[in-house]
Amino acid sequence: METEQDEVAQDELGPEIALDKDPFQLTVEDVYDISHIVGQDLLKISREARGVSSLVSDLQFKIVRVLEMLEALVNQSSLSAEELKMERDNLKAEVERLLKDGPQMGVGPDKMVIDLTDPNRPRFTLQELRDVLQERNKLKVKLLVAQDELQCYKSGIIPSPDDQIVTLENESMITCSPRENESKEKSTVKSLFSFKQGKQT
Amino acid sequence: MQNLQVAPVSRSRIISNMPKPYTPEACHQYQTQFDAEVQTVCQQRNAGAIGLKMSKAVMVGDLYVGKTSLINRFCKNVFDRDYKATIGVDFEIERFEILGIPFNFQIWDTAGQEKFKCIASAYYRGAQVIITAFDLGDISTLENTRRWVQDALKENEPDTCSIFLVGTKKDTLSEAELERTEQDAVRLAIDLQAEYWSVSAKTGENVKEFFFRVASLAFEQSMKKELEKNRGNTAQIGVGNLIQLDGNSSDKRENETQLNMNCC
Repeated sequence: METEQDEVAQDELGPEIALDKDPFQLTVEDVYDISHIVGQDLLKISREARGVSSLVSDLQFKIVRVLEMLEALVNQSSLSAEELKMERDNLKAEVERLLKDGPQMGVGPDKMVIDLTDPNRPRFTLQELRDVLQERNKLKVKLLVAQDELQCYKSGIIPSPDDQIVTLENESMITCSPRENESKEKSTVKSLFSFKQGKQT
Repeated sequence: MQNLQVAPVSRSRIISNMPKPYTPEACHQYQTQFDAEVQTVCQQRNAGAIGLKMSKAVMVGDLYVGKTSLINRFCKNVFDRDYKATIGVDFEIERFEILGIPFNFQIWDTAGQEKFKCIASAYYRGAQVIITAFDLGDISTLENTRRWVQDALKENEPDTCSIFLVGTKKDTLSEAELERTEQDAVRLAIDLQAEYWSVSAKTGENVKEFFFRVASLAFEQSMKKELEKNRGNTAQIGVGNLIQLDGNSSDKRENETQLNMNCC
């Protein structure tokens, strides 16, 4: 018997907790507990004072209406909380996935991230490098031609340096004509290694 | 033809006898003399018009095997211990006199780094000689020479290139190690129909011998080709397609022998 009374006492204590709760922690079960408590109280009142039963039943309708409103609000807010939790979990998973993918984060496949603050970052295109190399090759040939001609003067193959006119024309022709234009002669190296402008296939 | 500006070929670049191969096991030919017909033609030419011939060689192989070092040892007689990766492509021109004929030999040095391959490969074409280099101390670079040769051959007409396989950094190996690696290399050279050489740019061992051999074979090859072309046209032999250094044949020079570096 004692245990049964304890259970009853606890049962009656139990639903009371719902009234002490933070309204933002309220669940829909709490609303039902509150509804139960209020219902019990109304029952007691109508038993003890028989003349007020119609008043009590009016009040009961109003209370039920308020509790229904509370139920709807609590339902709505717990639903929103659930949605927010799900969204948070999804975002967490997304961040973890991106971090696992490493430095290419946010960049598609076959793409590279360039650090614009790195003074040694890649800047020039393949075509620009090709052009520079071609230019270097041309200049190197010119140097070889010049060295060849210098050698000619040094070794006395071209007799009197005072009579020579060395001109650089059209960026690739080096002529060395003692008297006439017709006797223009390119140096050996020159004639072999001057570059064509056209593209060979 | 007077006032022809030809600086004399350095005395150290005059070749009159066919240089020996490195090993008879993997070489293009065994003859100790130049082809008899070629010799005759060269003598005739000597007495008459001055001809000028040229050939192009490309050096390929993995990065850091010492392609540039090998070329620099031969062309400039220097060796730089520091590694400096070749950017794209570079070239040297060596002037020889072979059997009394001036012979200009272009040596194209290509970058071994993969990222430069698309630039360097544009310079493979028109090569009579493909030199593929590997590090004697790094067997993987030997295996890769097969691919380098294939890539270089792809850019050229079939049967127009002679191939040389050259093992570098000979000074870094013991006699026993060298022997082992050379066995593998010779086997690959035979497979590639290449002539095999072991060299050291650092000590200079075999460097001059190697390039003299390459230049001589390239010269002989191009002379033979020319003879072949003129066969049945005997009056032209010895004059044929040689470049005459007078003003009238400048168009021909343009068409046939000019180096084209705007290729890529």
